[in-house]
Amino acid sequence: MELVLDRVTKQYKNKIAVDRLSAKLQEGVYGLLGANGAGKTTLMRMICGILEISSGEIRVDGMDIGAMGSDYRDILGYLPQEFGYYPNFTAMEFMLYIASLKGLSRSYARQHSRYLLKKVGLDEQARQKIKTFSGGMRQRLGIAQALLNNPKILILDEPTAGLDPKERVRFRNMIADLGKERIVVLSTHIVSDIEEIADWIFLMKQGQFITQGTLESLKEHYLAVVNPGKEEPFNLEKLYLFYFQ
Amino acid sequence: MIWFEWKKIFGRRLNIIAMISGYVLIAVCMFNYITQERFYDKTTDTYLEGMESFSRSREQAAQQTKIITDEYITQLVQQIQNYQLDLERDDAYMEVIRPLGDIFYFTVKNYTDMREEIIDNNVLNAIDLSKGAQFYKQRMAKIKDYLNMDFSSGNYKEAEKQYWIQKAENVEVPFRWGSKREMSTIWEIINIGFYLVFVIIICVSPVFASEYESGAAALLLTTKFGKNRLIYTKILASVIFTVGYLTLGNLLAVATIGLLLGFHGADLPVQLWNSVIPYSMNAAQVCLLTFVIILLISITIALFLLCCSAGLRSSLAVLVIGVTIMIAPAFFPMSKESGLWNHLNYLFPVRAIDVKEMLGSFVSYTVGNFVISYLAMVVIVYTAVSAAALAFTRKGFVRGSLRGK
Repeated sequence: MELVLDRVTKQYKNKIAVDRLSAKLQEGVYGLLGANGAGKTTLMRMICGILEISSGEIRVDGMDIGAMGSDYRDILGYLPQEFGYYPNFTAMEFMLYIASLKGLSRSYARQHSRYLLKKVGLDEQARQKIKTFSGGMRQRLGIAQALLNNPKILILDEPTAGLDPKERVRFRNMIADLGKERIVVLSTHIVSDIEEIADWIFLMKQGQFITQGTLESLKEHYLAVVNPGKEEPFNLEKLYLFYFQ
Repeated sequence: MIWFEWKKIFGRRLNIIAMISGYVLIAVCMFNYITQERFYDKTTDTYLEGMESFSRSREQAAQQTKIITDEYITQLVQQIQNYQLDLERDDAYMEVIRPLGDIFYFTVKNYTDMREEIIDNNVLNAIDLSKGAQFYKQRMAKIKDYLNMDFSSGNYKEAEKQYWIQKAENVEVPFRWGSKREMSTIWEIINIGFYLVFVIIICVSPVFASEYESGAAALLLTTKFGKNRLIYTKILASVIFTVGYLTLGNLLAVATIGLLLGFHGADLPVQLWNSVIPYSMNAAQVCLLTFVIILLISITIALFLLCCSAGLRSSLAVLVIGVTIMIAPAFFPMSKESGLWNHLNYLFPVRAIDVKEMLGSFVSYTVGNFVISYLAMVVIVYTAVSAAALAFTRKGFVRGSLRGK
């Protein structure tokens, strides 16, 4: 499977939020790193088809995602940055509701929901109302719902926000696993998350990719261009700070 | 899917409070209608109240006549004229009007000009009985006079006159007589039921808007059925909720009244409420029609608000629109010059639900020589608005998200 961004642009009146971004994504974990307002969420919303593209195209295996309609949404899993949970729903009800929207059969939905809730550590809270959940528990529930339809393209907007360090580590491992057989795009401003799990990293600033590559290639870039001739250990945070400060 | 949408509707505390309050309002009104009903009992010279007044009224009506024949009305008017009293005075009320009860007012109204706002009881003293009271001839003459009147806002067209005259002539005469109090109470309660629409407004306003407000819309719209089946499910859940809530409220109220008072008079002609009504219907049919009209208008309001909810993204804004639609038109005055404005004004919910007024109003709409009755126009307009709202709701929800930041 190949997800192609072809000169994707989003313009709000005089402000360009995303500026002619192009990329080809195949199975693996892709990390979008950038400060708040860099255009990460806007780009992700366009990839999900819930924000109109001002110009350019997003294609999956050569087909425009707009033309694919529900066929595209059928292979998509999305965790928005902030989204409303229905406080009176239990975790299981919420999963079943999203499963019904994803067109899953009732018996499969129930079985798969149980599996996913266990995977994110919420199996014991399945019958609890969401209003009793902490921020981290809600975030884990959000990730579980995104995986319900076993998506080929998984878009995670700030998935580790609100998670404690232990949950974050568990989560990174989970995402790394998921990336083996699907395209996972995740955005964050927590550098260490990306560093650990992303196969390919995009650094975004003012709606553009200012640099991109594997962690190795970014290291080479850093040592050759940003910090030539100095013997000091590389980490992504230094590169990030170079571009964003 | 529909179950989850209902769970959202029933999960909001405000909705539950509104739903219970709506039913309490109906129960209080029902209690008041029954307990405040009064009947003057000539034999004991006392007023009976509450349920007893209904049964005594029924007995009185049965003793008066079974059919309103010209002969009966002639005798009745003769009897009244024999008193030689000014029927607007208190002594006439005590001696003549009060003992006769409902049949007096029914007769007076038949001889009163349709444009008169104040009924003068003395019209009965002015009737020339040399050829009898000619009750039904007077009914038709009154209708024809009204249709031929000069109105500053525009006169009836020839096609309209013919339409209404023919309809009025087709009503079966002579009318059956009986006590209409039980059915009046039921009719009033069904009318009061319209105010349950405020509950519908409160419950339906957030259906789409709350998804934006909570941020859930972004997630829902990325699911397979998020841009199609979800929207139709939300609409269907809201419509079923509207129908269910109104029907249950009305059924409970009507069944309670039926149990307490019975459905006496269900087969009486609607003309007993207003003799000029040009529709051949009985009281039960009119009650059902009233309920159906209220249901249609309520569904339309619900669909319209769903459309607003999908496009405006704010539950509060939709709520304000809903309440405004319900309340503001009540303050729109009727024009003395513009028939067009008046015909528009009749179509606002607060007026269109008044089936009693609608049936006896002789309001019609014309397209060339084709006449559309007020009743038919309400059905056409509200069905059309519903269809338009349905069409725009999906667009509104999907576009609303696509446009957003």
